[in-house]
Amino acid sequence: MTARISKWPGKELHADDLYQAKVTQVRFRPDAKYAWSAGEAMSRFLEELQQGRLVARTCRRCKRVLFPPRMFCEECFRPTDGWTYIRDTGTIETFSVSYLDRDARRIAQPILVGVVSLDGASPMMGMMHYFAEMTPDQIRIGMRVKAVWRPPAERRGSVLDIAYFRPLREGEA
Amino acid sequence: MTFLERTTDIRRLRHWEGTIEADYIYTSGIAGERFFVALREEGRILAARCSFCDLAYLPPKMFCERCFAELTDFVDVPKVGRVEAVTLSHVDRRGNRLARPEPWAFVTFKGIHGGLLHRLLVPPDKARPGLRVRPRVHPKDVRRGTIADIEGFEPATP
Repeated sequence: MTARISKWPGKELHADDLYQAKVTQVRFRPDAKYAWSAGEAMSRFLEELQQGRLVARTCRRCKRVLFPPRMFCEECFRPTDGWTYIRDTGTIETFSVSYLDRDARRIAQPILVGVVSLDGASPMMGMMHYFAEMTPDQIRIGMRVKAVWRPPAERRGSVLDIAYFRPLREGEA
Repeated sequence: MTFLERTTDIRRLRHWEGTIEADYIYTSGIAGERFFVALREEGRILAARCSFCDLAYLPPKMFCERCFAELTDFVDVPKVGRVEAVTLSHVDRRGNRLARPEPWAFVTFKGIHGGLLHRLLVPPDKARPGLRVRPRVHPKDVRRGTIADIEGFEPATP
C-alpha cells in the first residue's frame, strides 16, 4: 500500500478461493511434449563417439577443421563442407583442480578438469573433459594427453564415452 | 544448403523427449464470474451492458471498450442466436483424431457485441452460417461454472 492508496481496486483471491473452487475457474494441463535434438552435427558427433571416433567438419573457405563439428562456419558465414576424423591425442590448453564434483558437491580428493585441443583439428579446437593418471602437481598447460575410451559395451553416445584424458606415454604418437 | 535440405524431423537425429509441466488455474475475473455463476445457477447467458454507448458485450467485459466506463449492468442475450461462421474439427483439443468431424460455430445475438464459440449440434453436412440456433444447457446438477455447462448450440425451431 502507498500513502495515497489504502485499498487497491479489484478482488483479492486467496488459495482457498482457488482450491475450494469458490470462484469459477478453468483448470488445464497442456499436453506440452517436446523432443530436444542435438542437431545434425552434434548427433553425428555423439554417434561417432560411440564408435570410438572423433569427427569434425571442414570449411573449404577458411581451411579450418571445426571440432566439435558444426554445420555452419561462424567465420565465413557459410555452410561447412565435409566430415573428417581427428585424433584422440591433444594438448591441455587450460585446467582446474576442482574440489566440487559435477553436481557441485564438495569432495575431499580433487578432480582435474580442463580443455584439451585435439590433434587434427584447427588450433584451440577441442573439448572440455576430465584428466586422470596424473596428480594436481603434475598437470600443466601444454601437457600432451590421450583419450582413455570406455569399453564399447559401456558407451552411450555421450562425451563420457571417453572416460578421461591421460598423459601421452613415451613413444606414443 | 537450403532450408528444405536441412533436417526437419528431429526425431531422426539423436534427441531427448520430455514433457513440460505447465498446469494452470485460470480464474474468470469479475465480469466472467457474473457470467459463469449465472450460467451455472440459472442457465442464463449474460452480456455486460454500457447504457451510455447502448452497447452490450458478450462475453461480458468489466469495462466498455468504447468509453472505458465500468460496466455493472448485465442483460440476458436473446433466446435465439445466429451462426456467423462454422468449422469442422477433425481432432479433439489434445490433438487426437476424432472418429467423426465435429462442427463448431461462432454464434452471435442480435443487438449484442461479440459472441460465443461453441459446438454446433447438427450433422457435419448441415453446419452452415446463417442457421438460427439456441443454446442447449446441461442440467443444473452437472453444471460447474465453465463454458462446458453449455453442451452446444442446436437449431431453433421457429
